[in-house]
Amino acid sequence: MILLALKEYYDRKAAEGLIAQDGWIKGGIDFLIELDYEGTPLNVIDLREPVGRKKIPHPFDLPNIGNQALKHSNSGKDANLLWDNSGFVFGLGDKGNIRLQSMIEAIDKWIGQTTDIGVNAVRNFLQKGLENRDHFNPVLNHSEYGELFKEGKVKVSFRVLQTDYKIIFNSPTVVNALKKMINQNAPDSVVGTCLVTGEEKVAIEATHPVTKGVWGAQTAGACIVSFNKDAFNSYAKTQSYNAPISKVVASQYGKALNALLDSSRQCIHIGDASTVFWSKKESAFESDFSFFFKEPEKDNPDAGTERIKALFDSVNTGSYMEDDGDDQFYILGLAPNAARISIRFWQVGTISEFASRIRQYFDDFTIVKSQNEPEYYSIWRILVNIATQDKSENIPPNLAGDFMRSILNGTPYPTTLMQAVLRRIRSDTEKRVKPVRAALIKAYLNRYYRFYPNKNYKEVRMELDASQTSVGYQLGRLFAALEKIQEEANPGINATIRERFYGSACAAPVTVYPNLLRLKNHHLAKIENKGRVVNFERLLGEIMGNLNGFPAHLNLHEQGLFAIGYYHQRQDFFATKNND
Amino acid sequence: MHNWCLEVWGDYACFTRPEMKVERVSYDVITPSAARAIFESILWKPAIRWNITKIEVLNPIKWISVRRNEVGKVMPIPTAKQMTGALGAPMGIFIEDERQQRAGLFLRDVRYRIHGYFDFLSPQQRKNNRSMHPVVWADKYESNDVLRLDETEAKYAAMFERRAKKGQCFHRPYLGCREFACDFRLIKNPDKEPAKTISDTRDLGFMLYDMDFERDEREPIPLFFRAQMDKGVVNTDRRVVEVRG
Repeated sequence: MILLALKEYYDRKAAEGLIAQDGWIKGGIDFLIELDYEGTPLNVIDLREPVGRKKIPHPFDLPNIGNQALKHSNSGKDANLLWDNSGFVFGLGDKGNIRLQSMIEAIDKWIGQTTDIGVNAVRNFLQKGLENRDHFNPVLNHSEYGELFKEGKVKVSFRVLQTDYKIIFNSPTVVNALKKMINQNAPDSVVGTCLVTGEEKVAIEATHPVTKGVWGAQTAGACIVSFNKDAFNSYAKTQSYNAPISKVVASQYGKALNALLDSSRQCIHIGDASTVFWSKKESAFESDFSFFFKEPEKDNPDAGTERIKALFDSVNTGSYMEDDGDDQFYILGLAPNAARISIRFWQVGTISEFASRIRQYFDDFTIVKSQNEPEYYSIWRILVNIATQDKSENIPPNLAGDFMRSILNGTPYPTTLMQAVLRRIRSDTEKRVKPVRAALIKAYLNRYYRFYPNKNYKEVRMELDASQTSVGYQLGRLFAALEKIQEEANPGINATIRERFYGSACAAPVTVYPNLLRLKNHHLAKIENKGRVVNFERLLGEIMGNLNGFPAHLNLHEQGLFAIGYYHQRQDFFATKNND
Repeated sequence: MHNWCLEVWGDYACFTRPEMKVERVSYDVITPSAARAIFESILWKPAIRWNITKIEVLNPIKWISVRRNEVGKVMPIPTAKQMTGALGAPMGIFIEDERQQRAGLFLRDVRYRIHGYFDFLSPQQRKNNRSMHPVVWADKYESNDVLRLDETEAKYAAMFERRAKKGQCFHRPYLGCREFACDFRLIKNPDKEPAKTISDTRDLGFMLYDMDFERDEREPIPLFFRAQMDKGVVNTDRRVVEVRG
């Protein structure tokens, strides 16, 4: 299904002309070498275009012979047709001769004898260089770009002056050669039934094109379909004959997946999972989807917020619902495992299903917070706030994928998420319950009890709820009040009860509260404003009225409610202050 | 030819897609070949061949992603030197050295009702099912005796029914992978006890039907069919559904 959906995406994009045809591949060329018909280099043309501080290569449709364009083994024998990196074109390094030889072989194999002046000029250029490397000196010693070429990384192709083509492979000879390549099956290819499309008697691909752009995978690319060890083979089949997929489909799904991963609009990176998404037909949801989960862009921070607002309004306006609400939408989460890519999650549903689930996710996360907090949190911000030292590399593996899957399925969040956030609150002496963390706990609990209803559970509200039935919640409020009293009694104090007692107060209340309540009397005595003291005592009385003694310990959910109670009460203190 | 119906269920299942069998991803529902293996675990004889006609999905399709340790090596056959008994490198593999972590996308809490029947094979058809190796047979009489006189279709049908009713099996039936063992129950009267299937209707794409051992025993050819789920029911009857391969 995954591969079929990717192939359909390819078909859709190919119909719009936005993806390279069979036999071609989207790529970039940095430099063109101008040759005369004998193959003597005359000039170097820089095609790179400045984008920001970087220079990016000029995009082209490049000949894709076999799968070579997408992979580079280290053998030096896998040259591309009429284009490659400068290491190949100029035969640099230890394998220089093999590389040049392979460039020439590629021309001979795929084009053969031809009268095309352009192709012959390139062949001459390479042949002369193979015989005597001095032939390349004019280019390699070029005053401006020579050093770049010697590094061996820039992509190079050719232009022959006597022809009309801007770049060598625009020549009809090359175009025809590639067309022929697709239509005829190589004689040595294995024939079978394609398991994606069900086509019978098609040439089966032995090794699939690599996928690039999955975070953490090898930069040269990794494979979804790969059988790179004997242990993966069955019934005497080798390589990808274990999973018969036609050559055409393999190249198509490969291109579609690479295009998706390359696009900033249809790919987001969450934790260790790179997530791509697409809809069966073109839709607004498809282009807006990334904004729901991404960290806002620096130069346009409101773009995402507007789209999320639109999502909320969609109930009224009908966007995402009416026109294409029933269209299929696909979400694919990929995570690397060395040279292979594993599927973290795969979701299929209609646009309106996903839209309503994502709305639910944002709904669950709303909580009272200060003005300078972002209105909506990106997934990255949520996950980073539960990771050790707030570092993205410390986000527990798998958690990102599980969290995302819960959002898209509309199911309860993973328990590990709750454990992680409580652990962070306990270990973080400074900030403890940040708004993001409070929002996460609220979302977790409300969602949990929506699935496993419990009569004794009262839904956590956005802001302070004095009538909340939970003991943990009331204890949290009490703790916030005691802390506030201490702060006002001793302004500028270094270590408050928050630093010292938060952990034990939420885990084993009975061990700390009697002591804290005794200390409170001393603190109240120090506050000069008597009206304030009365207010505090009224508040304490109200909270204590909801409690029957202190429990010996609180379970995971009650600890979460403790954090929210503490957070709500603290927010409430600030809010009242603003009103005064 | 009697049609039987088994209800099977388990906590986890993985009906691995061939294209993603390294970092495993399951098909959405049980494949006919995995269902066949469940029937075979209860009763199999060289004389019978199981066919699956229908799969009913009773629980909603749920997924779970798990990372586990697996072994990335095939046990090597002993070298000539090792066969002589000479001391040297050990013959086994050390899993600590060959261990790999691999991800898997499995199914959770599955429950199916599978319908199937068996073909009774005539001795001629059965030839391929018999081992040619002399070690297998007790004596000359047994190796020549292709058809036992007490062998009838009705006998095996009764055997299956008796075994399935009691919950007997030759080996533990499983859902796609050996580690996902499943429970089963014979539904005596499927018509009187209609299945409460899920309401999903969708195209599941091409799915593995089975391996075709008849054309090539050593290197069997995979067979595929277009799996259509209609209100939780997948028709896998080979007499009706087109099977390609």
